[in-house]
Amino acid sequence: MPNPVEILGRARNRIARVAAIRAGAYALAPAIVAVILALGLTPIGQATWMRWGYILAPERAAMLREILLAIAAGALAAGGIFAIRAHRRALDFVAAAQRVDDAMRAHEEILTFAALADPDLAESQKTARSPLFPLLWRHAIGLLERFDPIKTFPLAIGRPLARSSMIAGALAAVMIIAAMGLVRPPTREQAIANRLREIAREIEATSNDPTDRAIAGEARAAADALENRSLPPLQKEKKLKQAMRDIKQQKKQSESGNKKGAGAGAGSQATKGNGKGQSQGSDKGTGTGPGGKDKSSQPGSGSGKSQQGKNSGSNNQQGKQGKQSKDSSAELQKELAKAQAQVETDAKNSPKPDAKKPGDDTKPGNAPKSGGNPDKSGTTPNPDSARPGSVPTASANVHKNVPPTGGAQAGAKDFGSNQGDTHLGETPAAANYQRYLKPGEKGAALDIHDARYVMFRLPNAAVIGAGGKTVIDSNRPTASTAYVNAPLKETTDQSAPDERQLVPPRYRDLIH
Amino acid sequence: MGAAPQASPDQRVAEFRKTFSRAEQEVGRVIVGHQDVIRKLLTALFSGGHILIEGVPGLGKTLMCKAAADTLGLSFKRIQFTPDLMPSDIIGTQVLTESDGHREFQFKPGPIFAHVVLGDEINRATPKTQSAVLEAMEEHQVTVFGLTYRLDPPYIVLATQNPIELEGTYPLPEAQMDRFLFKVVMGSPKPEELREILARTTGTRAHQIEAIFKPATAAHEIETLKGLVREVMVAEPLERYIIAVIGACTPGGPGAIPEVSQYLRFGPSPRGAQAIILSAKVNALLAGRVSVSYEDIDDAVVPCLRHRLLRNFQAEAENVSTESILEQVHKRLKRPRA
Repeated sequence: MPNPVEILGRARNRIARVAAIRAGAYALAPAIVAVILALGLTPIGQATWMRWGYILAPERAAMLREILLAIAAGALAAGGIFAIRAHRRALDFVAAAQRVDDAMRAHEEILTFAALADPDLAESQKTARSPLFPLLWRHAIGLLERFDPIKTFPLAIGRPLARSSMIAGALAAVMIIAAMGLVRPPTREQAIANRLREIAREIEATSNDPTDRAIAGEARAAADALENRSLPPLQKEKKLKQAMRDIKQQKKQSESGNKKGAGAGAGSQATKGNGKGQSQGSDKGTGTGPGGKDKSSQPGSGSGKSQQGKNSGSNNQQGKQGKQSKDSSAELQKELAKAQAQVETDAKNSPKPDAKKPGDDTKPGNAPKSGGNPDKSGTTPNPDSARPGSVPTASANVHKNVPPTGGAQAGAKDFGSNQGDTHLGETPAAANYQRYLKPGEKGAALDIHDARYVMFRLPNAAVIGAGGKTVIDSNRPTASTAYVNAPLKETTDQSAPDERQLVPPRYRDLIH
Repeated sequence: MGAAPQASPDQRVAEFRKTFSRAEQEVGRVIVGHQDVIRKLLTALFSGGHILIEGVPGLGKTLMCKAAADTLGLSFKRIQFTPDLMPSDIIGTQVLTESDGHREFQFKPGPIFAHVVLGDEINRATPKTQSAVLEAMEEHQVTVFGLTYRLDPPYIVLATQNPIELEGTYPLPEAQMDRFLFKVVMGSPKPEELREILARTTGTRAHQIEAIFKPATAAHEIETLKGLVREVMVAEPLERYIIAVIGACTPGGPGAIPEVSQYLRFGPSPRGAQAIILSAKVNALLAGRVSVSYEDIDDAVVPCLRHRLLRNFQAEAENVSTESILEQVHKRLKRPRA
């Protein structure tokens, strides 16, 4: 005979599991979408470069990737927490029984049974059960005999997943918009670096030759060096030159090998016969076209049998690839030259080492140069000294009898515009000023006709008596409390009178 | 007849259902229609409560009560309430008697000493007389000249009141209304029912009621069945539901709906919750269950609470009935779910 308490226990566990899975499913789609987007940022960046000529800067892409991965981790963590909470909540025996009751349409018999047979119930409560409890037990067995927790409480995660997908869709839309907002037209260096990478990809796609792959690797390294901001221009230039030298060297080696192969080992089966790749009609496959990547350095015997049919096809294809590889290589050299030129331009435009900050001279490994330290007296002109608004000399100020202006105190000076020197936002420094004489004081007459500012200070003292003695003015009237402009309270009620007077039916006849 | 004390729970429940069903049939032999009122009357009897029946004269209220008492083999007394009715006329009085040359006061019990007491047109008596019934209804005892007399169980007061003639009446105070388990309203019979009434009452054939219990054992049998009602189980979530119903009907109470706050002065007392549970238990037994369901509770809410809600001036002016307020409560209130 089935035990209804055990059946309800199984139902409770099933309900708890389903609740946990459903709660967790809400976070699943956003997490997956975030991970996919994080992994797809590189292809997205490439696509924007290829299609529209905009790039997603690597550091921005990295930042976005980190955000997406954090969102994914957060979603998974939240899903886990929700799942645990849902599982805990669903472990209530009576609540599970209520759901079983609803599913079985048992008119709360299972609910009542569970409330009285709860395993967590105190023993005293169990002994105080109604004499009718055995009958309820039998009713519960009858109802639960045909009860299957798995069928009654299916997983049914379609709805949570659908809702989760909506959240994931919104997340994807936001992140794609964010990615679109972060793409920028590339700088010249970035454009060249991207072009180099593109060429490297082309080379790798069209050739399996280790030399070609090495060239592609060089191109990638050059691109990385070009984009590396922390690398000084000189080193960039050096790397680019090195890359160009390597590529040229490899090209030369390739060409010399090709020539050797063409002269001594024509018809070798090892030939990669790029170029024309024509070997039909002869045992000696000629295959010596102007291949760029022909590596057939080993001399062939020339005694090959009639395999021309096959060789012609493969040689033809290899010839095409070789041509593409050659074109790519040429383009690569062109791009490297551009990059070098750009780096040289940047190096020229960048501030020279002697214009460094004064503190840089003390760094180890950098020998101080003459004129590099602006604190030292020397012949090196300070570029800032030619600018208007520089700090005037003390003598000039003394002569003019005006406070100093400009220079480091210039604040919001407008040097380049035609709006004039407005001195907006400045507070004049009180220097070289003349003041009015106090009562009774004697001195030279005030000469302010060339003054640029006149400042007044209001006295807080009054003169008492003829002797000109100044004391604190205590006769000035002062308010004991602060003035408050409080509005008067409304005294009239503007609301409409209540015209509807309700009268109960039994009083209606009494009122005339 | 009747289940032995050592009978199994199945047999006891079956016996209850059989008795109730037979009683319904027997009363239905003399009362045409009004099945719901008959069921409520018997429910009140097996729940140990009293019932207030409201209806116009001539509907068979008195006949129904008498038929119910006769069916169950219980003693029946009828009191016609009038303005000049005195409390002593109801509960009895001390009468000077002489026996063997000795004169002494002897208590002569009034009509309230019966198992089933019908208070006809109870709102015609003065409040003083009405209040004389209060102690009997609640305490099942009366006190005369300092002496307390117990009323034999089962004890049920069936009161009727006429809603149309209001002049010269004394509406029952709220405290007394609260003592009734149910208030049921008897409507006019349907045409088919009226035809049947005419056929039964104007012909030569008279319907005889067959008593289910013998008068000697009736009280004990009914008390046993009343004990069974009390044994029916109620789960804690359902008790919370009943409490929520009471709270929703109480102005200013927890979960009071806007209509309640707008139209009611007072809500139901704890007696209202007790009445709902007891009548729900009877409903469960009649359905063959030994535990109360939400349907049993919903079925009991209106008859148990309609006379316990005290309307305010605005509700009377706008003719808002307590039934409509309870309907709104039932609509708004949600059953507790997992």
